[in-house]
Amino acid sequence: MEKLPKKSRRNKKQEVVEEQKAPNQGKAMQTEEPQKEERAPVSHRSMWSGSISVGLINVPVKLYAMIFDRGINFHFLHKTDNQPVKYQKVCTRDNQVVPWPEVVKGYEVSKNEFVVFDKAELDAVKPESDKRIRINKFVDYFSVDPVYFYSTYALLPDKSKEAYSLLMKALETMGKAAAGRITLRTKEYPALVHAYKGALVLTTMRYGYDVSDPSDFEQLQKLKSPEKSELDLAKKIITDLSGEFDISEYKDTYREKVEELIRKKLKGETITVEKPAPKEEVKGLMAALQETLKQLEKK
Amino acid sequence: MKQKVPEQLTKVQFSNLDKILYPKLKITKAQFIEYYVKIAPKMLPFLKDRPLVLIRYPEGVDKEGFYAKNAPEGMPKWVKTVKLYSETVKRHVNYILCNDLDTLIWLANLAAVEIHIPLSRVDAREKPDFAFFDVDPEPPATIQDAASVALLLNEKLEELGHKVYVKTSGKKGLHVLMPIVREYSFDQTRNFVHAIGKILMKESNLIVSEFPDTKKPGKVFVDYVQNSQGRTMVSPYSLRVTPEATVSTPLDWSELKKEIKPAEFNIFNVPGLEKDPWKEIFLNPQKMEVK
Repeated sequence: MEKLPKKSRRNKKQEVVEEQKAPNQGKAMQTEEPQKEERAPVSHRSMWSGSISVGLINVPVKLYAMIFDRGINFHFLHKTDNQPVKYQKVCTRDNQVVPWPEVVKGYEVSKNEFVVFDKAELDAVKPESDKRIRINKFVDYFSVDPVYFYSTYALLPDKSKEAYSLLMKALETMGKAAAGRITLRTKEYPALVHAYKGALVLTTMRYGYDVSDPSDFEQLQKLKSPEKSELDLAKKIITDLSGEFDISEYKDTYREKVEELIRKKLKGETITVEKPAPKEEVKGLMAALQETLKQLEKK
Repeated sequence: MKQKVPEQLTKVQFSNLDKILYPKLKITKAQFIEYYVKIAPKMLPFLKDRPLVLIRYPEGVDKEGFYAKNAPEGMPKWVKTVKLYSETVKRHVNYILCNDLDTLIWLANLAAVEIHIPLSRVDAREKPDFAFFDVDPEPPATIQDAASVALLLNEKLEELGHKVYVKTSGKKGLHVLMPIVREYSFDQTRNFVHAIGKILMKESNLIVSEFPDTKKPGKVFVDYVQNSQGRTMVSPYSLRVTPEATVSTPLDWSELKKEIKPAEFNIFNVPGLEKDPWKEIFLNPQKMEVK
């Protein structure tokens, strides 16, 4: 149970909503041409409110979700009657369903041996819910390695827009990010605030503790340094292929294909399963075969 | 891992196509087979009716390979074989004959990296159809030294009214072949090649023509010993077991006058070569004469 992805826990509630929404969504998909740069719609409900505090200055803000995992989502149904199936917590001893109030948390100290906590005990040591994003310094945004980035949220002005606008403009013109920490729900994160497309956005980060140092890989211990000529050649190739990064060059082709299938199914079309095209390596081989067969025939 | 190619282009069932056979260049078995498919129109005439000796490297050329004369068990029924007595192993061997594209593809799928051919055909094994001059430089002699010897050799044979053909060995040497009428024995071709070598030795101190001198540093040996029944030569257009995936490549004599590097003739560019310098080699079988 603990290992199930979050999504499945809210399975039941969502299922009902989705069920009603699905036909409309299908229609929308039929009529709407794909826009140039398709983006996730913005959220309308803030998930946190407080203020960015730099010394004695406070900028009141609300926090909105801004990253959405929009890959194709399927629900599990019972094959015989197409009804959604759900997960239940059962006791591993007698397979009886365990109601929520009877569930406590246990920390496994050794195989099948647990230290048990009730809610009050853990709540007592939780970080205080803090309504501040406490900034302690300003850093160059691009000097922070993305390996630490966790998720990004939009910060919108709350009450006063002036202070917000000032901080945003200042960060934007200097290319700086405010570094500090934020407590979301019950967890404190290192965080960066920077300007993105005319808004302040907050990026929660991982602790160094959670990120391993790849130079500890044994395979990297005795890397040979390249010859100068090789390096020059590599640098030339990189220079020649350099360009601006453009996220719209990347498409989730799986999602697009499944959406196409959904459209067809909604129209009542039957889907024929195409055999996958041969892999790149076999393609070359087959083209060569066809050409050679042609040549041999001529002889 | 079996992959079937649709449309019945070939009877061969491919296996392990993504296996790396040449690790330095990351050449996969698919690319390797593709090479033999592309080169087949030029290569097949040299394989026809010759009992083959293969050098197989199923795990890649950096791993252990093995000589294979006997056709493997469980091979497809359509592969032609011929049972012959082998002088070298002193017993009967079931040799593979490669007379068509499918067999060549099948050999490639066995990771037969090098394909070696005898100098005679199966219907008259004791009558060679090539006299073979193996021009073999001993370091510090280089392929350039081999080239100047081969050019001398060509000049000499032209004087005698012969037309001969040259290819890279794919390693450091050169192979010169004279197509001959099938009237002579291997003793006669061996003596002929030896005699020419002796004549040349008098004209250039780079050249040695006697077997005991083979390993003299800086010399080029015109090897005649290969002219005997049961001996083989790497086939024209066969790949070699070199890190650069070189090919034993037929050349035009004019190409030898420039500096040649064996690595420039490899799996990638040989199939694209427009020239076919050996195209007429079988149209011109010659009689041997020694003055």
